[in-house]
Amino acid sequence: MTGPVLDIRDLSVNYRTEQGMLRALRNVNLQVQPGRIVGIVGESGCGKSTLISAIIRLLAPNAEIAGGSILWKGSDLLTLDAKAMRALRGKEISMVFQDPMSSLNPVLTIGRPSTDVQHRDSRSRQEKRARAIRMLERVDIPNPKEQLDRYPHHLSGGMRQRVAIAMALMTEPGLLIADEPTTALDATLEIQIIHRLQKLQRDFDCSILFISHHLGVIAELCEEVVVMYAGEVVESGPMRDVFSTPQHPYTRKLLECDPARIAEVSRHLPVISGQLPDLVDLPAGCVFCERCNQAIEKCRTERPIAGNGSHNAACHLVNS
Amino acid sequence: MNSAPGFFSETFGKLRSDPLGICGLVIVVMVLLSAIFASYLSPYDPLEVDVYDRLASPSWQHWLGTDQLGRDILSRVLHGGRIALKVSLVAISISLAAGLVLGMVAGFGPRWLDRILVVCFDTMRSFPTIMFALAIVVLTGPSLNTVIGIIIITSIPTYARIVRTQTQAVRDRDYILAERAMGASTARILRHHVLPNIAAPLLILASMDVPAVVGMEAGLSFLGLGVNPPTPSWGAILNDGYSYLRNSPWPIIAGGIPLILVTLGFTFLGESLRDIFDPKLRGKGGDSG
Amino acid sequence: MNALLTVNDLQVRYPLDGGLLPWTGRNRPRFVDVVHGVSLSIRRGETLAVVGESGSGKTTVAMALCGLAPVRGGEILLDGVKVSAGKDGYLRPDRRRMALMLQDPSGSLSPRMTVRKLLAEPYRIHPGHSNDPERSALNLLSMVGLGAEFADRYPHQLSGGQARRVSVARALALKPDLLIADEPTAGLDVSIQGEVLNLLSDLQQEMGLGILIITHNLNIVRHVADQMAIMYLGRFLEQGASGRIIANPRHPYTGALLAANPSADPEAPHQRIELQGESPGLLNRPPGCEFHPRCPRMQPDCQAAFPTSEGTPGEQTWKCFHPLPGAVKNP
Repeated sequence: MTGPVLDIRDLSVNYRTEQGMLRALRNVNLQVQPGRIVGIVGESGCGKSTLISAIIRLLAPNAEIAGGSILWKGSDLLTLDAKAMRALRGKEISMVFQDPMSSLNPVLTIGRPSTDVQHRDSRSRQEKRARAIRMLERVDIPNPKEQLDRYPHHLSGGMRQRVAIAMALMTEPGLLIADEPTTALDATLEIQIIHRLQKLQRDFDCSILFISHHLGVIAELCEEVVVMYAGEVVESGPMRDVFSTPQHPYTRKLLECDPARIAEVSRHLPVISGQLPDLVDLPAGCVFCERCNQAIEKCRTERPIAGNGSHNAACHLVNS
Repeated sequence: MNSAPGFFSETFGKLRSDPLGICGLVIVVMVLLSAIFASYLSPYDPLEVDVYDRLASPSWQHWLGTDQLGRDILSRVLHGGRIALKVSLVAISISLAAGLVLGMVAGFGPRWLDRILVVCFDTMRSFPTIMFALAIVVLTGPSLNTVIGIIIITSIPTYARIVRTQTQAVRDRDYILAERAMGASTARILRHHVLPNIAAPLLILASMDVPAVVGMEAGLSFLGLGVNPPTPSWGAILNDGYSYLRNSPWPIIAGGIPLILVTLGFTFLGESLRDIFDPKLRGKGGDSG
Repeated sequence: MNALLTVNDLQVRYPLDGGLLPWTGRNRPRFVDVVHGVSLSIRRGETLAVVGESGSGKTTVAMALCGLAPVRGGEILLDGVKVSAGKDGYLRPDRRRMALMLQDPSGSLSPRMTVRKLLAEPYRIHPGHSNDPERSALNLLSMVGLGAEFADRYPHQLSGGQARRVSVARALALKPDLLIADEPTAGLDVSIQGEVLNLLSDLQQEMGLGILIITHNLNIVRHVADQMAIMYLGRFLEQGASGRIIANPRHPYTGALLAANPSADPEAPHQRIELQGESPGLLNRPPGCEFHPRCPRMQPDCQAAFPTSEGTPGEQTWKCFHPLPGAVKNP
């Protein structure tokens, strides 16, 4: 099919809090083409959790959609009723979370959710079990037949995460959303997960939306990257372009801060000074203005809009 | 023990938005005030007998009627509140204090001590209250202090158990480890770092225990194991009313109403407080990113 | 003695309760050796990083040094003086000289205490260092670059970075000689990791601190550590000067860890040695060299015995029968 599988247009989400209206996402634009791996890079407070919750329509009770649309293969998810959304979740759009224990019920053996997740299929129990075993093999779980009868706490963190990925892909979704799936794992396990994801993506030809604050992992896995800051998309484009020639000052500084990229050994590491702006009381102009050392007068008063082109940034310095 | 900034004002503010909580608070305050000022509020002396006006129905002279000896029930109920207040305050504070100490020692101390204490707690709890009360009363004779003593002894294990569980939950937290790493003594850790972090749920528990304690006293007095006549405890009023139920239902009703009010009031208040404390402990709300 | 801290053959063994483990075999192990003979030394003004995966025992090393884990064997010397242990096996170090920073920054701060009270704690526990603990607390705040307005905040009102700085301030209140930091950058965004590390670096220079960092983040080790030790299943497999080891790892595990580190530089050559499998866990120690089941260079003799240490002590030592070739000439 042509056109993106996921097309987020001008999405804004607010939270009603005691302090006032917290503007968590503002005019977010994001596209995932079929069969592509898109990474979202952002630090705490950038809005990535809210974005995911909005896509799968599981926002907190005090959240409200302030505008925009989320198009899934052409139809707007925000207009779907609960029943239609439930049909989509887990079948067409699957998720893997940071903490594998949160997706695996500790009192059930692995086999149960692995077969349950196929509940929409009308195959027999044995067929579902066989399918589950094959999926586990694909994520390189040793002795998958025995593992089906074990409990989550018997498995190590890395294995649990692989089981979670296997379950998420069992229904052959069009989109897999992975929310910091490797953050809790050691570097050696992280690489294993990344490689499995790459392999599975090729086999299933699904799209992956991969969220992480670990730049190295994004670079390893993702073809395209979206950089978020304080609720906005500040830069997006092909990963190679964004990471080698970043346009937005935030992206540039973020890459500079990554200790892995700093060639010369130094006792003094770079930081981005300052703090996140108050999302309830946002300043006018560019959201990164205060912490940017290249800010011009326009940045303080006018909010920048992303340029056109495959690699673009929301920055006055770039677009004027 | 310092609590969050503007603790009471913040809590009170949240309470305002919960109708049941406000209801509970109002009832509790009313009960407390009426108990404290019972002497001023009572139209009659609760012990004053008037044989010519026995078992009268409610009227303008006697709002709740009179009992089998012509005593004004309203006055008796008000003074009964004072007894209920005394019993619950004394019994609960002593049980709580003892339970805190024993529970913290059990939860934080060496394993062997914990095992011994747990056995003690469970033994005490396995005695059926009434049988225990009967046994004590046989020894010491019925009186208000006996009732208080019985309630204390049967309540301590419950509080101690809860404190123990809470202490165990807190014991392995990082901030306790950090204090130990700094060289803080066990006493210091218990007093400054364990106690403040387990106190809030305990206080709520204690406040919700008030109706139970009042009920226990009423029950024991009803069975004749508690206060001696003519002391007007609610249980005694109920006891009298029960005997004369066929003649007039009012004593029973009058004796029962305060119990119901106390239970409702403290329960509403306690549950409301519990709801307030739980989300607050979880930190910032409406988080993004 | 030159060294501030000397650890010789530290061993930590925990007894096991039967019921907690999913262990159904008849021969239940009665204990687990979490730290199986670890030696290191740190000088004043120097930083040593202990690196390893989760389950390697690295946090337990820190706990043992601070008297929070039972020591079964080995000796610890602080400025050449032996640190004694109590009857229960827990070390009794001079707590004023050794400070610990735990992994979870806000979790290690008592939730119902204000920052002011938290920072006054060290002075209250060890009277004699300050006449006015609360005034000293404010000084500590400014030492870590936090304004006085933080003094009345509660831990849940602090961001990760701010909480981390409060932990640093508390750790350094009594001007210790040694700071042990367990994953000081865990949970911090990349843009502020530098803040904590720079702060520690500056204070180290000012105070002549020795620092022991526990981490699994190899990227920062390169920048902040003078020495490093790679830990696996309770043992050090390689240790020495961090620059040397990173440029020229000799133990295959070290090589794999360095190679597993994804780099954000798309142009960097990818030499991925993907390690097979996972750490078998402390209860399932393989025979011989405990790394051999996962080692790409495994040979039959690796199963027979645990390798002894080779190399130059103080510069780079490793325990492997078939180490990686020493390719680069050391500058």
